[in-house]
Order: sequence, then C-alpha cells, then structure tokens
Amino acid sequence: MTTFLQASLNGLVSGGFYALLAIGLAVIYGMLRVANFAHGAVYMLGAFGAVILYDMFGTPFWAALVVVPVVIAAGGVVVERTLIRRLVPLDPVYNFLLTFGLALIIQDLVRLNYGVVGQPYAKPAALEGRINFGPLEYPTYQFVVLIASIALTCGVWLALNKTKVGMVVRAATERPSLTEAFGVNVNVWMIPVFAFGVALAALAGVMAAPMRSVNSAMGADIVIILFAVIIIGGMGSVLGAVLAAYLVGFLQELAQMYVPAAAGATTFILMAVVLAVRPSGLLGRQEAAR
Amino acid sequence: MSVVIRVSSMPTWGRTVLELRHVSAGYGEATVLHEVSLQVGQGDVVTLIGRNGAGKSTLLRSIMGLHPISSGSIKFLGRDITRLRPHRRARMGLGWVQDDRGIYSSLTVEENLRLPRVIGANAWAEERLFGTFPVLGQRRRQMAGSLSGGEQQMLALARVLRMGADVVLCDEPTEGLAPVIVDQIAEILREVASSGATILLVEQNLRFATTVAHKHFLIAEGHIVDHLDNSDVIARENDLLAHLGI
Amino acid sequence: MNRRKTAVSIAATTALGVSACGGGPTALGDDQAISNGKLTLAVVTDMSGTYSALTGKGSLEAVKMAVDDYQEKYGSDAVAQEIEVLSADHQNEPDIANTKARELFDRQGADAIFDVPSSAAALAVADLAEEFQRIYINVAAGSTDLTGSACNEYTYHWAYDTEMLARGSAATLTQRGEKNWYIVYPDYQFGQDMTAAFTTHIEANGGKVLGTDATPFPNDNFAASMTKALEIKPDVIATMAAGSDLTNFVKQYNEFGLAEAGIELAVGAMFDTDVESIGATQMSGTLYTTDWFWNQDDEAREWADDFKARLDVRPTAVHAGDYSAATQYLEAVQRAGTDDADAVAEELDGHEFEDMFARNARVRSEDHRMIHDSYLTVVKEAKDVQEAFDYTELVETIPADEAFGPPSSSCDLG
Repeated sequence: MTTFLQASLNGLVSGGFYALLAIGLAVIYGMLRVANFAHGAVYMLGAFGAVILYDMFGTPFWAALVVVPVVIAAGGVVVERTLIRRLVPLDPVYNFLLTFGLALIIQDLVRLNYGVVGQPYAKPAALEGRINFGPLEYPTYQFVVLIASIALTCGVWLALNKTKVGMVVRAATERPSLTEAFGVNVNVWMIPVFAFGVALAALAGVMAAPMRSVNSAMGADIVIILFAVIIIGGMGSVLGAVLAAYLVGFLQELAQMYVPAAAGATTFILMAVVLAVRPSGLLGRQEAAR
Repeated sequence: MSVVIRVSSMPTWGRTVLELRHVSAGYGEATVLHEVSLQVGQGDVVTLIGRNGAGKSTLLRSIMGLHPISSGSIKFLGRDITRLRPHRRARMGLGWVQDDRGIYSSLTVEENLRLPRVIGANAWAEERLFGTFPVLGQRRRQMAGSLSGGEQQMLALARVLRMGADVVLCDEPTEGLAPVIVDQIAEILREVASSGATILLVEQNLRFATTVAHKHFLIAEGHIVDHLDNSDVIARENDLLAHLGI
Repeated sequence: MNRRKTAVSIAATTALGVSACGGGPTALGDDQAISNGKLTLAVVTDMSGTYSALTGKGSLEAVKMAVDDYQEKYGSDAVAQEIEVLSADHQNEPDIANTKARELFDRQGADAIFDVPSSAAALAVADLAEEFQRIYINVAAGSTDLTGSACNEYTYHWAYDTEMLARGSAATLTQRGEKNWYIVYPDYQFGQDMTAAFTTHIEANGGKVLGTDATPFPNDNFAASMTKALEIKPDVIATMAAGSDLTNFVKQYNEFGLAEAGIELAVGAMFDTDVESIGATQMSGTLYTTDWFWNQDDEAREWADDFKARLDVRPTAVHAGDYSAATQYLEAVQRAGTDDADAVAEELDGHEFEDMFARNARVRSEDHRMIHDSYLTVVKEAKDVQEAFDYTELVETIPADEAFGPPSSSCDLG
C-alpha cells in the first residue's frame, strides 16, 4: 500500500511537471494555431538559464525562477513577432518546419557551447532532504515542485475563466478570425499569450535544473510526450491538457512500478485509445470551421 | 439559366455606405468572385441571392476582411478599407453574423454578448437585449454551446446589436431553423432596419428575403447578374427557385 | 577469394623474411610495403551525440597523438613514412556507420578503423572489416559479441566490455559481502547485456538479484525505481544507465535518500565526464569498474597532460584506449614491415606488451580480445578532489587474467 501511495505521488509529481509545460503549449496552439515544436528547447533554455546565471553571477535559484522566464519570454516575443507571426496564416506544415528548425538551432547552439555533457546545478539548501507523511517519505524538492505546479495550474485556470483577458483568450482560441470580426485585435493579444506560454516552459526548465540532467538534448525527448499530452487532452484545450498531463504522468509511473516493460509505451497507448474513442481528445471540440 | 442582364451597380436612395469596385477573390487557383461591383446605401436592407457556391458568402466575408481579395477595392463610409484587418473594419461599424452563428461554446451567454466591442451610439443596452430576447436573459450564465439552434441565432443577432454596428453583414440567418423562429428573426431584422441600420443579408429563403429586404442582388458563378426589387422577386419566384435549385 | 588470400599471405611471409634478415623495411621500398604509399587510419565516432564527450574529438586526437609519437620514435626508419588520419561522424546510427566505414575502406583506402561507439555500429563496422579484409580495433563499444558470435580475423576488441565491467563490479562487490542486488537498466542491447553479465557474476559469488527494472531510454525520471528499491532494501542498487540518464539516476538516488537507507550505488559503466556533469558531491562513494583513469600513475598522467594541452580536457579511458590501439597497430605495421592486414594481424595476435593504457597486456589470438588489468574504483569524497576530473580512487586491481571472460566458445579464430 505504501508503495502504491508512493508511486501515486511519483505520478502526481511527474504529471504536475508535464502540466506546467503542456499549458504553455496548449495556449500557444489555441491562440496562434502554431504547434510549437520549440517548446522543449525553451524548457532546456530555462534550465541552462539557471545554470548560466549561477555560474556567471552566483544568482540563487529563487531569483532565477523570476529572471529566467522573463528574459526568455522577451526573447520569445522577438521570435514571435519576426518569424512565427508570419506563418500564422499559412499551412500548419510551415509552422512545424519553422519551430522544429528553431528547436534544432537552439539545441545545437547550446551544444556547441556546452557539449552534450550535463551541467551540475545544486538545489537550494532549504529544499534539501525529505518530508514525512506518516509512512511516506518524499523528497522535499519534488514535493514543492508538485505544489508549485498545482498552484500555477489553478492560477492559470482562474485567469482564463474568471477574467476579461481570459475571456478574450478563450474566444480567440475557439474562433480566431471571428473574434477579429468583433473588433478584437487578436494579433496583438498573441504577444502576451505567446510570452506567457514561453515563460511557463522556461519556468519548468528552471525547476527541472536541480532534479534532472541539464543538457542540450533534455527538451528534445520531452516535447514528444508533451504533444501526446495535448493531443490526448484535445488540441487547444487548456483544461484538457492539464487533465491529460496528470493522467499521462500517473500512468507512466504506475506502469514503471508494476509493468516496467510497458512504461515507455503507456503514453502512446493512451493516446491511441483516446483518439479511437474521441478523435478530438478528452476535452477537445470538433474544430470550428472558421 | 435565363437571367441575362449583367449590371455593375444599382441606384441607391440614401448616401452610399458600402461600395465595392471590381472585387475578385478565390481559393487557391479557383476564382470565386469575378470583378464584383455594388453599392449599398444608408438604411438599405439588401439580400444576396444565389445558389450554393455562387460566391455569396465569399463576398460577405471579403467585405468583413475575413477572406482576402485578389483585386478591386472596398469603401466603407467613404474610406478605403481594402487593406484593413477585420478588427479595424469592425471598429468602424461593420457588424458580422456568421453563417454557422459563430457561437463561442467555451464562453457563457453573457460573455458571448460582452466580447464584441461597443462601437456605435445606437448600441443596444443589455436590458433592451434581454427584453427582446428573454431566453438569453434567463440563460445568461449558461455556456453558450448548450443553447438550441434558434437560441444561438438569437444570441448571434443580439451580439451584433450590442455592438451598435452601422452595417450588419448577416450570412444565412435562417438556415436550418424552424418557421416560427424564422418569423421572429425577420421581425428583429425589421426592427433593426427601422432604427436606421443598413443590412446586407445572404439568403436562400425568398419568402424571408422579401419580408425583410427591399432590394436583392442575384449572384451566379461569381458575377452579379441581376438586381431585383420585391415585386420582381414575387413575380419571378418560380424562375428564381428553379435557378436556386430549390 | 581463396587464391587471393593465399597470394597475400605469401607476400606477407616474404616481407617478414626480409625484415627478419635484418634488411629493414626501407630495403623493400615504400611502394611495396605500404599500399598507395601511405598508411591511412580512420576514426569512426560520435562527433555530436550522446557519446561525443566520451569519444568524439578526443578519440580522433588520441589517434593523432599515437601517429605523432610513432613518427617521432622511428623517424626515417618508420615503415609508414606518410600517415594520414581520417574521421567520420556516424551520429550513433548503425546504418550511417556502415555507409561511412564502407566509404573509408572502399574509396579512401583506410587501412584500419578505430573507436566506434555503440555496439550496433561497432558490429556493422566489424562486418565490413571482414568483407574488406582490413583491420578494425574496437575501443568504445562494450559488446562481447565482437569477440564472440560476431568475431572475425580482422576485428579486435581493445578496451572495456560488459563482461569486464561485471567482473569488476558485480563479482568483486559480492565477494566483499554485498549479497543482495537490485538492477535498473535501460531497455536496449547494452543494458540487457550488462544486466545478464552482472546477474551471472552476482550469483556465481553467492549473491542474489532481488529484482531488475527495465526503464525506457532515454529516461529522465527514475522515481519508480527508487520507490521500488526503498521497498526491497537491497545492499546495492546497480544502474546500467549512461550519459544524461545516469545523471538523472544519481540525482534521484540522492533525493530519495537511498544512501541514508544503506543502499550502495554501483554504476555499470561510468567515465570521468559523467562525474563532472553530476558533481563529485552527488557521486562520491559510487563504485564502478574501469580499465584506465588519467591519474592512475605517472605514465598515464603524463599522457593526460599532453592530451589536455591539445584539447583542454582530461582524456577518458576510451581516449586512452584509442591511443593504445593506434600505437600497437603502428608497432605491428613496423614489425610486419607492411600494412597488409593479414601480416599486421599476425603481428598483433599473441602479442604481449605494456603501454600507458594497458598493463600486463596480451592480445588473445583465439578471439582477438586484448586482455589487461582492470580496476574497481570509487568516486572520491568532494573534499579530496584536487582539480577538475580528479575523481577516481583505486579500490582494487583486477589482474588481466581475471579481468576478462575466457574466450567464447562461439568464436574460433584458431
């Protein structure tokens, strides 16, 4: 039983982590209709940002949590305005080629400077060690990551559903061109939405630095899982992405615990099942015609 | 097909609010609109009649800026809007009712109403809207996707009324609706027209068209091939129905 | 085919005869001794992927250093007066390795290929060595198949293999009383081979494998494995992960408090580059087996200093192995007086030697395995680390005869 609880907690932690990354991917796809394959590279840049700031200025983890996402989001806005923006009206395959190419360029630039070897990054002393929950003992840091991702997820949900900004984002996500016909400059709204999505990925990167290997390829593997997550959740549905993220994290961990051989495949089996039963994903709508 | 006269424009009574000159548009290689020119005057209620694929919706979408045109120009309130993005056109006073009603299913009824910008002095206040459309008032907190087809069409109209647009572009507002509801919609459009707004409708339902509008453009294969008034439409009903393939 | 082979071996014998008579290689004339007038060594390696820090540029540089040292040593007496070193990036894809190696042998006249990380790529190159009858000396791949079912008379295995790692870590630790093991491995060939080899040696020494856990590859989350280990409470948890997966594994081993729970960490295959990326603090106390480390003694350190002067990093055991392989190959050419592959192979077979990499070394003629001493080592305490890459401390030397498995019955080269 303890083991099952521990495995469930593992699942929640990894699900919370996926959720953080998947939200950004989902809002960007929803608003811009851009499948951002560079999302994993942004996550990697976030982790490297923390490492570089520490190496150069001794910046502590807590400051990196704020500085890195802001700086990377600013860079993201430049890329959005100069490159991605131009492709929004075109066939999605151009978006794929551009963002995939960007991901490779970012990855190779990092690799040129840092090689493929992982970079060391220590977690803050306050989050060392483990905390006890009765019979359970869990690494403090990972538990804090879980709490942080739940809090952020709730915050995003509230912002989306209870604010004027959220209303516009939901409208533009559902019917981008119609929303323009109501006098909303969707193009301008894309800037903060894209920046927000990028910042979340960078933040996830900073949070990953102390617990995962910081190397140039770390984003390339995770982006595949993330796309599976937002497909399972329903492309463009933020709530769907969050649900799917926890589901994927949970199933992966349980499978790793009880049927290790199937662990790598669980996500894709889940995706196949969901697509067979609900082609538009768990909470996805049939794509509006316009 | 027996309709023959090719016209480029027709006289209007009021000041011209919308003017299209030689507008062509298409999808990829296929040209759907061929050098269409027309004028709509202040307070006109005009329908575009034509069979499926004749280019009516494309024309309406081109006016709103939702479909790119390949040549020609569009003037609205005397200003060239050919290159303006849809949100700028909306802010100038163009209102839009989409053929699938364009309801945001992830927004509540109230949010659907509040999303569009209020642009004109003759914008309807919420109380007036809920007076005219009581069902929307009752369901204001409900998600709009849960409304029936007729209720969604009400919402689509209410939404554009709240904006206070000078010119309402309305794409097939009666499609797939029960006759009772079609009558209600006709009544609302007449009320809108009586307040001085200009309405450009795409319509296949000739009866409906003649009860709401007083002028009609007949579109075939991307050309405006005829313009009719209500008596013409009634006189040539069988001919037109045959043309529309109904 | 047979006729050609016979002709070649006659030519080789003649050459040997001449050199034995004391005429020296120069008496033969360069065009006879060395095909195309120059000796071509090629390094097929991973220049940018997972293994590029372990192999890559460093492997190429090590072979160049061997060539420089050879030329300095023999000067005008060198059999091979002109030597070129080529390299090819196989991007860790066996099919690319195949294409590149074929091109090197076929069109660029490579006489020998070195390095070749990842077992699948190494096996592909070994097949080509047999097809083209040229030498391939594997250094970077760990599969025992290269000297087992896939062995051939032109392929040599110079450095570590899965059996060596298992003997060093699994056998030695079990003998020291660490009886209960839990093994976590990436679910591909190397991981499976390592787990099988470890299991054999643990059980042969009276230990028990309480459980094994296959993980996806690559993998950044080992929480499930840590949870299971805490439940099973083995004496040792062994991981067969490499590169960034290993980094993730060790970070999580520490986070989940396995060390405090008294579970020791043994790593199947580890190199200094791994310790550098994880940090000595996290790694200290980790046990692993290697066949070389750069500050094991003065001779090694001197070479490592030369290497650092050229590339500004410390060499890995694979880099040192490449140097040794190229050096011994050149020495064999020198003794044979020709670059003819059969003649060189004959010189290599049974050769006993010592160099800065290989101690008490002998090239087994039965299977072309080069046996040498290996070492069970431990990562130093962070406070004992004097400089970057100074991480390794010797626990026990495993003599050459015990360090590797006996010749495989599935390979008979006579």
